[in-house]
Amino acid sequence: MSLLELNNATIKFGGLVAVNDVSFAVSKGDLFGLIGPNGAGKTTCFNLITGVYKPTSGSIKFKGRELSGTPSNKVAQLGIARTFQNIRLFKALSVLENVVVAAFLRHRVGLASAIADLPNSIRETQELKDQAMALLEVLHLDKVAHTRSCDLPYGMQRRLEIARAMATQPELLLLDEPAAGMNPQESDDLLRVVRQIRDQFNMTVLLIEHDMRFVMNLCEKIVVLDHGCEIAQGPPEAIRSNPKVIEAYLGEPV
Amino acid sequence: MKYWPTRVVSILAGLGACFLISAAADASGNDYTKRLVVLAGVWVILSVSLNLINGITGQFSIGHAAFWQVGAYSAGIISVQHYANSGITGLPWLLLMMVAGAIFAALAGLVVGLPSLRLRGDYLAIVTLGFGEIIRIIVQNQKPLGEAYGMNVSPKFQFTWLVWLTAFAAIAICRNLLKSAHGLPFLAVREDEVAASAMGVNVTRVKVTAFLIGSALAGVAGALFAHYEGFISPQQFRMEQSFIILTMVVLGGTGSITGSVLAAVALFYLPEKLRDMGPVTGGQLLAGTFATVLAVYLVKRVIDHFHGTKKEAAIRHLGIVLGCMALSFVLSIVLNQVPVLASARYEAEKLRMVIFSGVLIILMLVRPQGLLGHAEFSWEWLKRVLGQRRSEAAQTS
Repeated sequence: MSLLELNNATIKFGGLVAVNDVSFAVSKGDLFGLIGPNGAGKTTCFNLITGVYKPTSGSIKFKGRELSGTPSNKVAQLGIARTFQNIRLFKALSVLENVVVAAFLRHRVGLASAIADLPNSIRETQELKDQAMALLEVLHLDKVAHTRSCDLPYGMQRRLEIARAMATQPELLLLDEPAAGMNPQESDDLLRVVRQIRDQFNMTVLLIEHDMRFVMNLCEKIVVLDHGCEIAQGPPEAIRSNPKVIEAYLGEPV
Repeated sequence: MKYWPTRVVSILAGLGACFLISAAADASGNDYTKRLVVLAGVWVILSVSLNLINGITGQFSIGHAAFWQVGAYSAGIISVQHYANSGITGLPWLLLMMVAGAIFAALAGLVVGLPSLRLRGDYLAIVTLGFGEIIRIIVQNQKPLGEAYGMNVSPKFQFTWLVWLTAFAAIAICRNLLKSAHGLPFLAVREDEVAASAMGVNVTRVKVTAFLIGSALAGVAGALFAHYEGFISPQQFRMEQSFIILTMVVLGGTGSITGSVLAAVALFYLPEKLRDMGPVTGGQLLAGTFATVLAVYLVKRVIDHFHGTKKEAAIRHLGIVLGCMALSFVLSIVLNQVPVLASARYEAEKLRMVIFSGVLIILMLVRPQGLLGHAEFSWEWLKRVLGQRRSEAAQTS
């Protein structure tokens, strides 16, 4: 059974059909790519999956459970985490605190214990911090753990977004242009990190990206959107040579 | 292992501080001084509780005096009607009334909290402002609540220590919340609701919780206030009071508990102490204003254009302030040679609110992030500062 399944998902904003009859299925352990020109509806797809928008029609199933209409925080609880294209960190909080907010999703101790500052709350806070710190090490952010997140350079902010999403312990990780604005060196590092996320943390990854070298090297399956419609689906080699995709997005090889 | 000793010591230190404040107020033997100490405590509770809603959770609420009023009136009316036949006396009754005040204010907080789920920023501010006025006007038209004349609350309970103990409790609640991982979702909601929600934070619950705790604390402050004063009227809970609480939070540094406490005490005492100021002549007023404006201009220049160590900057600030004080002294003598200026006299009573607002404008110009910004006082911070001093001293010797 597939982990995530979109069946004829459609959303209309007034007269504009942002996502039109899109269907694809992500299986457990996939590295799945979602590509297409600007305004094709890729981020809108993410917003549909994570409950920011409710689809006008069609269904979105996660582990066989209908997702449409589920609020964002509930979706995170079920095991889907995301990053944002236009970085949305908690700016005034430190790098570590940003990750602890997400790790807090799996907390057990109640608010009353926290307000009374009981030992179990102190212990749990420490545990969550340790968890967060371990993730920061994976993404090479442990040295800046106590820096304010808005003071980080751009590439690190992108990595922090990934660390924060991973801290919710998702089964499915949605990455919205993780390599945007990175130099070749940084994006190669990121490639390794994303593979590590899949292999070591057993997370399935669905990502949007414009850096074709990155997508073609990383993803095993790709869906291409254009003007809200799905125009192709398949492994990277097939996508690269698909005439429709070349016309709409990739362009003729020179 | 170190948990219980630290806890016991800090609780004892808090209790000790309350009794010290109370004893100092009693020792003054002056009812006016004592009342100021109690009211300062009430303002500390109010500003710390608004800081939870406004500074920590980022919900711009400007009707905080309404929660205070709900607490005061509900506790007051219950006392008036049921104290005599309840059979409970003294402190237990007051504690009971504090709980009642908290519950009624929390209900009011729930009512305001609900629109905050859909409204942001300016829009929420307007709703809370409107709510504050609605509460005041409703109270003003209730016969049993004394309408616009106000009502006597009997019996009076005047425990200075209890007011400050409550203030300490309010501070402890906020401090503990921020220390534990439970506080982070509140900050996350302030920073970015969409991202917080995507990370699994239940934004609705966080906002409602902040409103519930914040308004309940203000309600407790109201119950204490009503029973201390023995008389409450709608005039005491005007819109201006909401703005003063808000000013305390903003001035102290939005989100900083320490800042809220310091700003509450400072802003409460400033206008009171200005009453003691004698009348001033036109020359003095002119000289003082000129020197103040000059000082603000120079300090601002140092902040914007000087890139030295903190210590060097502080020395320059001190120099500017002292220089301008000297200048204003000399200038006032010179200006008072002009007969018109020397004969014009201004009473302190009329000037004090002007000075109060002047101070606010100056602070916002010089330090827009508030006195403390996001910083907090902590023992670790104190240790670090003292440690630095010691290591510096060791190096120089």
